[in-house]
Amino acid sequence: MIALITTPANNIPYLFAAYAVTWAIFFGYVFFTSRRQHELEQEVRLLRDTLERGRISEDPDASN
Amino acid sequence: MGSVQTDQVTMTSSTASRSYLGSAKSVLLLAAGAFMLANMYLIFMWAPTEAVMGHVQRIMYIHVPMAWLAFLAFFIVFVGSIMYLWKRESRWDMLASSAAELGVVFTSLVLITGPIWGKPIWGIWWTWDARLTTTLVLWLIYVSYLMLRAYSSNRSQGALYSAVLGVIGFVDVPIVYFAVNWWRTQHQRLVIGTGSLEGSLNADMRTTLYFSLLAFTILFSFLLWQKISMKRTEEDLRSIRYSKELTRGARIER
Repeated sequence: MIALITTPANNIPYLFAAYAVTWAIFFGYVFFTSRRQHELEQEVRLLRDTLERGRISEDPDASN
Repeated sequence: MGSVQTDQVTMTSSTASRSYLGSAKSVLLLAAGAFMLANMYLIFMWAPTEAVMGHVQRIMYIHVPMAWLAFLAFFIVFVGSIMYLWKRESRWDMLASSAAELGVVFTSLVLITGPIWGKPIWGIWWTWDARLTTTLVLWLIYVSYLMLRAYSSNRSQGALYSAVLGVIGFVDVPIVYFAVNWWRTQHQRLVIGTGSLEGSLNADMRTTLYFSLLAFTILFSFLLWQKISMKRTEEDLRSIRYSKELTRGARIER
C-alpha cells in the first residue's frame, strides 16, 4: 500500500477544491431543475388557458 | 357545461394542493440550507483535525454521506423498478428514474471528491483498486440507465427496459460497499457501519459525520421531491397536449 502523505498545510487547496466542486455542482443542479420546473409549469398554465378558451368559444353555455 | 365546471373545480383544487406542496418544498429547501450551514460549522470549526492527514481529511464529511446517499438512491431505483414491473404504474417509474438521476449526481461527486482526497494522501489521483473500480462500474450502470431512457423511441419500452436494468444494476451496490473488506487494496477499510473496524473513528468525528449525513439526507429529499414534481408536470403537459389534439381532431371531424 502506498501512503504518501503531504504536510497538513500543503493539502488545504485539495480541501478547498473538493468543497468548491461539490457546491458548484449542487447549486448548478438546483438552479437548472428549478428553472426547468418553472418553464414546464408556465407551459401547462398556457395550454390549460388555451384549451379552456377553445371550449368556451365552442360552447357559449359553458361561460354562464 | 357540467363537464367544464367539474374540470374547473378539479383544476382549482389541484392548483391549491400544488401551491401547498410548493410551500412545503420551500420549507424543506430552507431546512436543507440551515442544516448545511450548521454542518459546515461542525466540519470546519468543531471537528478535530486528523493527526496524520491534516485538514484534507475533512473531505470525509461530504465524501462518505454522498456515497451513502448514492446507495440509498439506487435502493429507491431498485424498489421503484420492482414496483413498476409488478404494477406498471407510471408513478413508480417516475420515482425510480428521479432517484437514478440523483444517484448519478451523488456518485459523480463521490468519484470527484475521492481522487481529490486521494492525491495528497496516496500520491495518485486514481488507481484500479477494488472500491474505486466497482464504484466506477456502478456509475456506468446508472448512466446507461439514464441513456436507455433518453434514447428509447417508445416511452413505455424505455421505462420497462430501464426498470430491468434498475433491478439488475443494484447487485453492484453491496459489492461496492463490501469491496474494501473482501479485497484489501488501496482504499481504506470501513470506519463506520456494518463490517467496520471498531473504534477507528474519534467520537467527535463520528458525531460530525452523522450530522453531515442528516444534512445531506434533507438536501437529497428536497432534490428527489423537486425531480418527481418535474416529472409529474411533464406528464401533465403530455396529457394536456394529447387532449388538445383530441379536441382539434373532433373539430375537424365535425
